[in-house]
Amino acid sequence: MSAATSPVDIATPSWRRRFADHPNQLLAVVFLVLVIATCIKEPSYLSWTGLRNTLLLAAPLAILAGGQTLCLLTGGVDLSVAMTATAAAYVCANKSSLGATTAIILGLATAMAIGVVNGVGVAIGRVNPLIMTLGMQGILVGLLTKGAQSFLKGSTNVTPFVKKLGGGAWGAIPYNVIVWIGVAVILIWGLRSTGLGRSIYAVGDNPLACRLAGIKVWKVQIAVYVICAFLAGVAGILLAGRSGSVDLQLTNFLLLPSVAAAVVGGTSIFGGVGGYTGTILGALILGVLERFLLFMDATEAVKQMLYGGLILGLAWLYAELTKS
Amino acid sequence: MTESGTRVSGMTFLGASDRGRRRGQIVQRHGWTVGVWLLFASLLAWYASRLDAFGPYERTAILTTAVAAVFVAMGQGVVILGGGIDLGLGSMVILVNCVSAKYMDGHGFVPCVLIALLVTLAAMMLGGAIGWVIHRSGVPDIIVTLATSFTLFGLALFILPSPGGGTSPSFAHLVTGSETGEVYWPAILCLVVPFAGVWLPMRRRRTVLSIYAAGSNANAAFLSGVNLRRTKIASYALGSCFAALAGLATTAVTGGGEPRFSTASAFTLNAVAAAVLGGVALTGGIGGMIGPIGAALALSLLSPILTNLQLSFTWMDSNMAEIVKGLILIVVVMIGGWARARKQKVV
Repeated sequence: MSAATSPVDIATPSWRRRFADHPNQLLAVVFLVLVIATCIKEPSYLSWTGLRNTLLLAAPLAILAGGQTLCLLTGGVDLSVAMTATAAAYVCANKSSLGATTAIILGLATAMAIGVVNGVGVAIGRVNPLIMTLGMQGILVGLLTKGAQSFLKGSTNVTPFVKKLGGGAWGAIPYNVIVWIGVAVILIWGLRSTGLGRSIYAVGDNPLACRLAGIKVWKVQIAVYVICAFLAGVAGILLAGRSGSVDLQLTNFLLLPSVAAAVVGGTSIFGGVGGYTGTILGALILGVLERFLLFMDATEAVKQMLYGGLILGLAWLYAELTKS
Repeated sequence: MTESGTRVSGMTFLGASDRGRRRGQIVQRHGWTVGVWLLFASLLAWYASRLDAFGPYERTAILTTAVAAVFVAMGQGVVILGGGIDLGLGSMVILVNCVSAKYMDGHGFVPCVLIALLVTLAAMMLGGAIGWVIHRSGVPDIIVTLATSFTLFGLALFILPSPGGGTSPSFAHLVTGSETGEVYWPAILCLVVPFAGVWLPMRRRRTVLSIYAAGSNANAAFLSGVNLRRTKIASYALGSCFAALAGLATTAVTGGGEPRFSTASAFTLNAVAAAVLGGVALTGGIGGMIGPIGAALALSLLSPILTNLQLSFTWMDSNMAEIVKGLILIVVVMIGGWARARKQKVV
């Protein structure tokens, strides 16, 4: 393949090699360029408030994308994250009267139960992950729409504690960013240094070899879908806290961006390649882009087009760089 | 039929001696499709028996709601057969819906048909461009079309920022039959024509055969001289052609354009579901068009059936349709997978 039309031409070959070896550095550059562009457009952006707003926006997406990253790493995908997050938020809001802790635990338990079903379907039922989670998404849409009129009828407002968690700040640092940092530390450390983390990469790389090597592939897969659903639940509750109340459209807008953040961050859709560091950068890039377009007074139409263009552009650039 | 220059001989050749095995293979190959159509037929019969009357109005209602879903399912089917998946297909439907509604508004029948042709052609070129990007970039299909699902929807919003537009009544009657709905045969014709006019003639031609070949094993296809780039472009162009038909049908049935992202993603996801339920393997290369058509028809019947069941069981409503749809999808794919695994073990 000639690189005649690739955007890499501008860069010198050594840069190219550098970015191919460390794709995260490329993402950092893209992130900085976007931040600078935003600052030029809106100088007040370069302040603690500006940064905070971006982080507040990026945190739920990054947590959601964290679970998605794990699924992608095993060669799967979870298209039910949005409704899982909404389900957790719904249960959490509905059980507000039981106190914040109980409500949050019940919400997260609901999410994990959904994750168990997804995991069992994929690992033991051998349903294609795309189909399994697509079906689950439909089931959850139906169940929640129905539940909102019957068994989940009642409070759609979350407790003050959840509100504080999703929208408040400890000093200057938003609480949801603190949660995000916790998730990030555990995910990065877990993927690098735990048996499960290494197995996730191995399963994504070659499930057959894993099975022959004695790894219980089904256990890894179930664990991944449960963790993914758990993180989706966390993101859903944070989002509910930010808006103060829940509705069925709470997280739908984050479904495709959660995949996009992971993919922009360099995680391969075929599994085995990637990590959470890239996903963090991916989520930050999408978060800053959102701000940038806001300052540009871009219409929804332009936003969507640029959003798609950026995802495609970064994925293409990444593919060009890693091409031997 | 004998223009051997443009036709490629059948992909499998079976001797006359093993006729029994051949019969077995026919059952194996078409059993799934027959099953899907039986499911549709029984659902239809059940629904008809529950209605007070099953006249032309009811038939028109069922058919007009199904037409767009069937077209998108066919489009997704072609793309999946070629080893890809198009997550932007629903956005393409909405784009065509919005463009056609905007420019058809206030025009007569002939301009509307011309616009429809132009829009379909443009959609095919866009689809071809997407196929080219996938081939050229080496980025997985699912990622490129994830991106185009945003871009195409943005384009639709750009062209038609808020619901509106319209079409000529006589153009709408191509799908809906008449104003009141007592003529239902145009809707049936709408379902049959793209299948008989586009798919059937192409099915054994080089383009579609290479889509099958590239879908089942891209490397082997490349080594046997299949032009992978052209095949990728063709499969996405054909998929977008069906999506464009779905968009035009939506314009005709609803009488306007509505840029809503949830509609777009519902179209995409239902189309994947219908294609897979219709026996198209997600790995590519296996399946046909008759199955997805039957599956899309059956899926679009679920919602009215469950709404109707509400009369007898109060807890039933159309929300149950989503649940049932999801369950059917998961269970059927699971059973299909187990059946395949068992067959492989036996052999």
